[in-house]
Amino acid sequence: MSEVADAQAPQTGVVGPSSAPDDVLRVEHIAKRFGPVTALRDVNLHLKKGEVLGLLGDNGAGKSTLIKIICGFQKQDAGKMFIHGELYEPRSVDDARAHGIETVYQDLALIDELSVYHNLFLRKERVHHPIPLLANRQMKREARTALDEIGINIPRIDVAVARLSGGQRQAIAVARTVNSDADIILLDEPLAAMGAKEGAQILDLVARLKAEGKVSIIMILHNYVHVLEACDRVSMIQEGMIALDKPTAETSVEELTDIVVNEYRRAREAAHVAEAAAAKGTANGGAAG
Amino acid sequence: MASAAQSPAQSDPSAGSGGEEHHRSLPGGREVLNRLIALREGSIIVVTLITAIYFAANTSSFFTGANFETLLPYFAPFAILAAGEVFVMILGEIDLSIGAMYLFAPILFYKLDSSVGLGLVPGVIVTLLVCMAVGALNGFFVAVVEINSFVTTLATLFCFEGLALIVSHGTPVATPGAAVHTTEVAVKHVVNGHTITLQEKVNHIGTFAKIFGGGTYSELIWAVAIVLILQVVLTFTRWGLYTVAIGSNKLGASEAGVRVKLVMIRNFLLCALTAGLVGIFEAVRSGTVQPDPAGANEILFLAVAAGVIGGTLLTGGSGTVVGALIGALFLGVLEDGLVLQGVNANYKLFYLGLAIIVAMTANVYVGRVRRGHVGSG
Repeated sequence: MSEVADAQAPQTGVVGPSSAPDDVLRVEHIAKRFGPVTALRDVNLHLKKGEVLGLLGDNGAGKSTLIKIICGFQKQDAGKMFIHGELYEPRSVDDARAHGIETVYQDLALIDELSVYHNLFLRKERVHHPIPLLANRQMKREARTALDEIGINIPRIDVAVARLSGGQRQAIAVARTVNSDADIILLDEPLAAMGAKEGAQILDLVARLKAEGKVSIIMILHNYVHVLEACDRVSMIQEGMIALDKPTAETSVEELTDIVVNEYRRAREAAHVAEAAAAKGTANGGAAG
Repeated sequence: MASAAQSPAQSDPSAGSGGEEHHRSLPGGREVLNRLIALREGSIIVVTLITAIYFAANTSSFFTGANFETLLPYFAPFAILAAGEVFVMILGEIDLSIGAMYLFAPILFYKLDSSVGLGLVPGVIVTLLVCMAVGALNGFFVAVVEINSFVTTLATLFCFEGLALIVSHGTPVATPGAAVHTTEVAVKHVVNGHTITLQEKVNHIGTFAKIFGGGTYSELIWAVAIVLILQVVLTFTRWGLYTVAIGSNKLGASEAGVRVKLVMIRNFLLCALTAGLVGIFEAVRSGTVQPDPAGANEILFLAVAAGVIGGTLLTGGSGTVVGALIGALFLGVLEDGLVLQGVNANYKLFYLGLAIIVAMTANVYVGRVRRGHVGSG
């Protein structure tokens, strides 16, 4: 296993994640294009056991794409992934789940028409034997216990999730992943649509999972204060590459903000230059014509 | 109402636990109505009851056993067709090709019997397998190639209605296994104290015909069994759960790991199977295989209507098989009632359309009351 870990040491300056044999997940040189759009150029990432990794990046930087590749929903164009040092090529979401990866998607993947407990158990339904009818009573009971354990307060679990508030829906989506035997949990903006109190609940939950040390978490967040509070380490994606990879203890809100702002300025300047060049081009063209 | 307000123990009538509540008045009709409305099928049950009561009050023969037998073919086949269609409609899709399967299945069955000599039951099995293959093809084009289901199934509707005409040369034939045998039986009569024996003619149909649609209650039994089984599948199995999930949030379902394409193909397959089955039943019941696309198209629309009237959304995500049965019953009651009332045949279609609009309006209104009712509870 350690040979594999040492095999490909990324060499892109600060970007290089220091691979270690205790990595539960390692992502190497992942690239992904959607037609003319390059979502991911060359992403290297690693996740240690029990670690909470904050994935940062501006809108459209490719964070959600990376999550969708890791969770088996999409396939990368290039690059490899390893789980516990072994090559990991998920064929489907189910396959990824069999490898112990659970995901909360940005759009939550909740089914409005189904009840809270059916959503919690979607694709993990409890059924009777030998006739595989849904064991609704058992699912209700287990759902209630799971939600209580997590500390999420949903008054009724047999109502359709369409009737819940945004924060409650988010909580259900998070609870769905926690309520599993996963060892890697991917959270795509778990605090979106949440009130301060509900958000704190989710962060508490993450802290508790971290303290238990059984699962490793990759979490996309936008609020840098939350990142520094909840994560052990941050990776920032810019233009489809990892631009920064540091323990949270060694960085600050200022540094993270600076990187993003500088990037923004650079992009704006580049745009200006391009615009000017284009304008010049047109002027020249006009003169020539 | 007044008594409910006076009883302090019962704070929430909608959550009523039944059992030991004692009102000074009778347990109000309103409460029963509330219970009924709380069901998804509630509104169409109410509407059907009102329609039946109307015809019972206005005609002398509506509420008779003989009329019930007349009513059966008006609704049992539609109930089976609608049960399959509901599985597609919950996905948010539609299957128009059931009209073609209905038409094509008995013709194929006839050919398998007359030209191939396959025998009755194997013929039925092969016919249904072919129908399922066509359904799977529909599902493939909708789920994998991603052609809109209306367009896909319109194409298969035309193709297989066309094929039915090509194969049958447009000529009606006698349905295999549905032949009526007449035997003479000696029946003893007592006339003025004398016993006399008379030869009487009795019509028989074979066991095959009795089971596959020919028997008086055959289609009703099939309809009830199929509806019950499919309702259980819809409510209590993973398949049903995934069907609702796909109709409600296709992307979310696939992100959760539901194999969306597989479930969609399976539902189209089921729908074609029920249509083929009904086609054979109706051919056996009537004794002839009629290559008549116009009739088949009317049946297709009535089946879809039964599903919608029964409370299944055309937009998907919600539906009920039992509701489809009651929707079919409503259409049957309406058709039968109009005939009994002596409505001019030319007016019948007009009244049918009018009644569907009125019923659907009542349905939507009652549904709104239901949601408001549940929402406040």
